[in-house]
Amino acid sequence: MSDHHKETFISKYVFSLDHKMIAKQFLITGMFMGIIGMLMSIMFRLQLSNPGESFAVLEWFLGSKWAPGGILDPNMYLSLVTMHGTILVFWVLTAGLTGTFANFLIPLQIGARDMASGFMNMLSYWFFFAATIILLCSLFVETGPASAGWTIYPPLSALPQAIPGSGLGQDLWLVSIALFIVSSLLGGLNYIVTILNLRTKGMSMSRLPLTMWAILITAILGVLSFPVLLAAALLLIFDRSFGTSFYLSDIIIGGEALHHTGGSPVLFEHLFWFLGHPEVYIILLPSLGIVSEVMSVNTRKPIFGYKAMVGAMLAIAFLSFIVWGHHMFITGMDPFLGSVFTFTTLLIAIPSAVKVFNYLATLWKGSIRFTPAMLFTIGFVSTFITGGLTGLILGDSALDINVHDTYFVVGHFHIVMGLSAIYGMFSGVYHWFPKMYGRMMNKKLGYLHFWVTFIAAYGVFFPMHFLGLAGLPRRYYTNSAFPMFDNLTDINSIITFFAIVGGLVQLVFVFNFFYSIFKGTKASENPWESNTLEWTTPVERIHGNWPGEIPTVHRWPYDYSKPGADKDFVMQTEPLKEGKTEH
Amino acid sequence: MTNILIALVLILLVATLVQILRVSELLSELKKQDVNEVTDKDNATQGKILLIVGVLFLGSVVWQFVNWIPLMLPPASSEHGAVIDSLMQFTMVLIIFVFFVTHPILFWYGYKYNKNKKNPVAFFYPHNNKLEVIWTVVPTIVLTAVILYGLSAWDSITNADTSDSQVIELYAKQFDWTARYAGEDNTLGFSNYKLVKGPNQLGVDLTDEFSQDDVVVREVHLAVNKPVLLKMHSRDVIHSAFLPHFRVQMNCVPGMTTQFAFTPTQTTAEMKAQEGEDFEFVLLCNKICGAAHYNMQMKFVVETEEEYNAWMASQKTVKNTLTKK
Amino acid sequence: MSTSKNNTSKQLLWIAMAGIFMFFAGLTSAVIVRSAEHGWDSIDMPIWFWYSTAAIILSSLLLIIAKWQVKKGNSPSIYVLGALALGLFFGYCQVKGWDQLTAMGMYFVGEGSNPSSSFLYVITFAHLVHVIGGLVALIITSVKSLQSKYTKDNYLGIELVSIYWHFLDVLWVYLFVFLLYSVK
Repeated sequence: MSDHHKETFISKYVFSLDHKMIAKQFLITGMFMGIIGMLMSIMFRLQLSNPGESFAVLEWFLGSKWAPGGILDPNMYLSLVTMHGTILVFWVLTAGLTGTFANFLIPLQIGARDMASGFMNMLSYWFFFAATIILLCSLFVETGPASAGWTIYPPLSALPQAIPGSGLGQDLWLVSIALFIVSSLLGGLNYIVTILNLRTKGMSMSRLPLTMWAILITAILGVLSFPVLLAAALLLIFDRSFGTSFYLSDIIIGGEALHHTGGSPVLFEHLFWFLGHPEVYIILLPSLGIVSEVMSVNTRKPIFGYKAMVGAMLAIAFLSFIVWGHHMFITGMDPFLGSVFTFTTLLIAIPSAVKVFNYLATLWKGSIRFTPAMLFTIGFVSTFITGGLTGLILGDSALDINVHDTYFVVGHFHIVMGLSAIYGMFSGVYHWFPKMYGRMMNKKLGYLHFWVTFIAAYGVFFPMHFLGLAGLPRRYYTNSAFPMFDNLTDINSIITFFAIVGGLVQLVFVFNFFYSIFKGTKASENPWESNTLEWTTPVERIHGNWPGEIPTVHRWPYDYSKPGADKDFVMQTEPLKEGKTEH
Repeated sequence: MTNILIALVLILLVATLVQILRVSELLSELKKQDVNEVTDKDNATQGKILLIVGVLFLGSVVWQFVNWIPLMLPPASSEHGAVIDSLMQFTMVLIIFVFFVTHPILFWYGYKYNKNKKNPVAFFYPHNNKLEVIWTVVPTIVLTAVILYGLSAWDSITNADTSDSQVIELYAKQFDWTARYAGEDNTLGFSNYKLVKGPNQLGVDLTDEFSQDDVVVREVHLAVNKPVLLKMHSRDVIHSAFLPHFRVQMNCVPGMTTQFAFTPTQTTAEMKAQEGEDFEFVLLCNKICGAAHYNMQMKFVVETEEEYNAWMASQKTVKNTLTKK
Repeated sequence: MSTSKNNTSKQLLWIAMAGIFMFFAGLTSAVIVRSAEHGWDSIDMPIWFWYSTAAIILSSLLLIIAKWQVKKGNSPSIYVLGALALGLFFGYCQVKGWDQLTAMGMYFVGEGSNPSSSFLYVITFAHLVHVIGGLVALIITSVKSLQSKYTKDNYLGIELVSIYWHFLDVLWVYLFVFLLYSVK
C-alpha cells in the first residue's frame, strides 16, 4: 500500500487519489462557491431594503445589462435568488460539507489507509469540479442564469417564454446538477463501503465516533434519494428539449397555445421533494455528527446518550423519506394525504428533541474549553432549537396555509438547516484544521468570527419570521407594490444591515484560513487531547495515514474525564484495564 | 483604473493584516506562550461573552415581539381563519415556552461549566436511561396534542361543506388575476385553454348553457358571512392564490383545478375602521412566476349583502358581453 | 486482502444497484401518480418487448452456468459469449419495440404523444442505457475469459458482471410487468 514512486505536482495537488487532498479540494471549492453565494445574497438584500435605488456595486458586479444604472433587473433578481439557493444547498452544504469531512475523516477515524476506491473518490471530485465550472458558466449566458427558484418547478423552469432564465441558463443548470448527482453518488458509494468494510481491528460499529455514524447515514440517504432527483430532472430535460408532456399541460404562453396535454406539474413536485426533503438531512446530519464530536472533546465529557444519538439520527433519516408532502400542502393534494404528512412530519420533532436534550446534558457539569470550534457547537445547538421549533408551525398543514412560501419559511430553513449546517461546518474546520494542514488557526480571529457571525446571522434570519407573519411572500423583487407591506421597511433594513455585517466577517474566516495554512503556528499531533484515531497520525500528513501498522481500537471514543484514568482523556487505542468493561 | 487601484489597496490591506498577525505571534513566542492555546482566561472570557450575548439575544427576541407584533396581519377575517389563528396561538405559546426554557439553559451551562482551576475535570456521565426516556416521552405526549389539534383543524378546513357556497373561479396568468362568478345557476360554464381568443381571455365555452350567466370581473366582491368556493386555474405557470387576511392559500396549476372554501366574516368597511383608511383585502401571487411576480394582485371587497347584490346587478354576464354578436 | 477486496467491490456494486433501483422507482412511481389522472392512453405492449424479456432471462441463465463452470475449473467463455449475444439481441429487440410503437401511432414526443407512451419510451430507454453499460462489461469479461484470465480461485470479474446482469434482468422483468399493467 505504501507509495514510493515520486509524486509530481499534478498527482499530489490536482489528480490526487489521497483522501486528505480530495477533502481539501472539496473544502476550498465549497468555500469559493460559498463566497459567491453570499455575495449574491447581499446583492438582492440591497434591492429588498432599498427597492429601486441605485448601487454602483451592483452595476460593477452584474454589468449594465442586469443592473442598468445600478438598479437590479427583476429577472436578475430571480436569477440571484435561484443561484444563491442552488449554490448554498448543493455546492456548499452538500458537497462542501460532506465532501470535505467524509473524505477527510472516514479513513482517519475508522483506521484505514484510504477510501475503498481512491479512483472513484478522485472522479467524484472532478465530476463536482465540472459541475461547478458549468454552473459558473451559466452565470454569463446572454439570457441570464436559471431563475425559476432552486426548486425549478415547471412549467416556469420549462418555458423560456415565461422567464428568460429558463433558456440556456436552465439547460446549463440541469447539466450541472446531473454531473453533481453523479459526483454525489460516486462519493456516497465510497463512504458507505469504506465505513462498512475498512474499519481497523476492534473498531466495531458501537465504537464508531458519531461523525462516522452521521456520515454513513448521510451517504445512505444520498444514494437512495439523489437518483430520484436525476429521474425528475431527466423528465424535465425531455419536456424542455424534446417536447414530451410529463409536466406540461394546457398552456398558453406569449399568446400561443402549446401542444402539451396531459402532463402534471405536481408530479415534478412529488419527485423533487422526494429527494428534496432527505436532502435537508443530507445537509444537517454531518453537522450533527461533527457537533457531537467537537462538543464531547471540548466539554471533556462523553457525549450524553451515545446510543440515543445514533438512534435519533436513524429515526430522522427514516422519517425524512416519508415527509416530502409537507412541501406541498397547498398544491391541492388530497386532504387525507395532507393529514398523513402532517403526522409524519411532526414526528421528526421527537428524535430532534432527544438530540437537543442530550446536547444540553453533555454541557452539564462539563469542563468546557472554549475553542472557536466549541463556540460554533453552541451556536449550532441554539439554531437547531430555534429553527426546529418554527418547524412545528410549518409542518402543521393547517398553519402552513398562511405561512407557506412567506418569509416565515425563509427564516425557518435558513436557521435550521442553513445556519446549523454552516456552524457545524465551521466547527469542523476549526477543529480539524491542525490535522489538515499541520498548523493551528488563529484563535482570536476565530472568536471574532464566531461572535459576529452568531449575532449577525440571528439579526438576519430572526426578523424574517415577523415578515412572514405579516404575510410577506418570498421571492418578491420588491415589497413596494402592496401598501400593506409599507410598514415593514425598517425590518428589511435591519436584515440587510446584518447581512452585510455577517458577510464581511466571513472574510475574516477566509483570511484566517489561508493565513494559517502558510503562517499559522505549528500544531502538535493531538492539540485538543482528543480520543479518536485521527489524532494518532503524525503531523506530517502522509499517504497511507499511519507510518507503521494501523492502530488497534480497544474502546469507544468518548472516554473523557473517566474516573480512575491518569489523564482526562483515554485514546481509543489504549487497551481496557484488566477486568474493566466499557463505559 | 479605479479597479486596479481598489485591487492594489486590497492587496496591501491583506499584506498588512498578515504582518500584524505575524508580529503578534512572534511576540508571544518570545514570551514563550502559544498564542493559539486556549487558556483558562479564554474560557472565562468566552463564557462571560456567551452569557452576555445570550441575554442580549433573548432580550432582542422580546424586543422584536413587542415592537413588531403590531405590524403583523390582523386577526383573521374568515371563519376557518379563526380556527387557524387559535391553533397558531397555541403552537406559538408552546414554542416560545420551549425556546425560553432551553436557551437560558444552553447559555447558562456554557457560562457556568467553563474549564478553570475550580472546575478542572468534567463529570463522567455517559448516559442515564431514565432521563432519556423522560425526554423522549414528554415531547411525544406534547406532540400528540399538537398533532391531534392540527389534524382536527385541517380536517374542518378542507372538508368544509360547500353545497351552498357561491362558486367563483380565480384565473391566473402572467401577471394578473381574473375572476369569474358562476352566476345565478352557481355552475361555472365549461372552459378550455384552446378557446382563448380575443376578448374571451378565460377560454369560456360560449356555446355552453352554464356559461351564459357567468360574470367575468377584475375585482372580486363578496357578501359578508356568505360562504364562497374558489376554484383556481392557471394558463401558463404555477401561481398561488394567497389571501393572507382570510388565511387562504392554494396553488393555481395549469392543467388542473384546485379549490378552497371559506366564509368572510368582516367587511372592508369594518376593516378600514379597525386598521386604517387605506386597508384593502388583496389577493397576492405567492409562487414564483416570473419578472412581475411581485406585482400580481387583485382587490377583494367584502360588503354587506345589499351592497353586494347591487354591485352584482351592475355587472354584465357572459351572454351580454362575449356571446352577443 | 483479496477476500476483503472482493467484499468491497461487491458491496460497491450492491449499493450502486440500490441507487439505480431508486432511479427507476422514481420513474415508476411517477407513472403511478400520473396514470391515476385523466387522459392516460392505453397501449398494447409491442411483441418485441416480450422477445427481449425472454432474451434477457436466458442470458442471465447462461451467466449462472458460466459461474458454475468457472468454479469447477472449466472455461466459461462459451457461456459468457452466449450471454453477450443474447444481451445484444435484447438491445435489438428494444429498438424494434420502439419501431413497433411508432408504427402503432404511439409517439415519444409531439402531437401524437401521450404521457403513457412518453413514459414507456423514457423508461425503456433509461433501462437500455444501463444495459449498454452491462454489455461493455460483458465484452471485457468475454475477452478476459478468452484469454483464460479466470481461474477457480479468481473469478471476481465474472461474479461482478453476473450480479449486475441479473440485476438488469430482474429490473427489466419488474419494469415490463409494471408497464404491462399500468399502460393498459
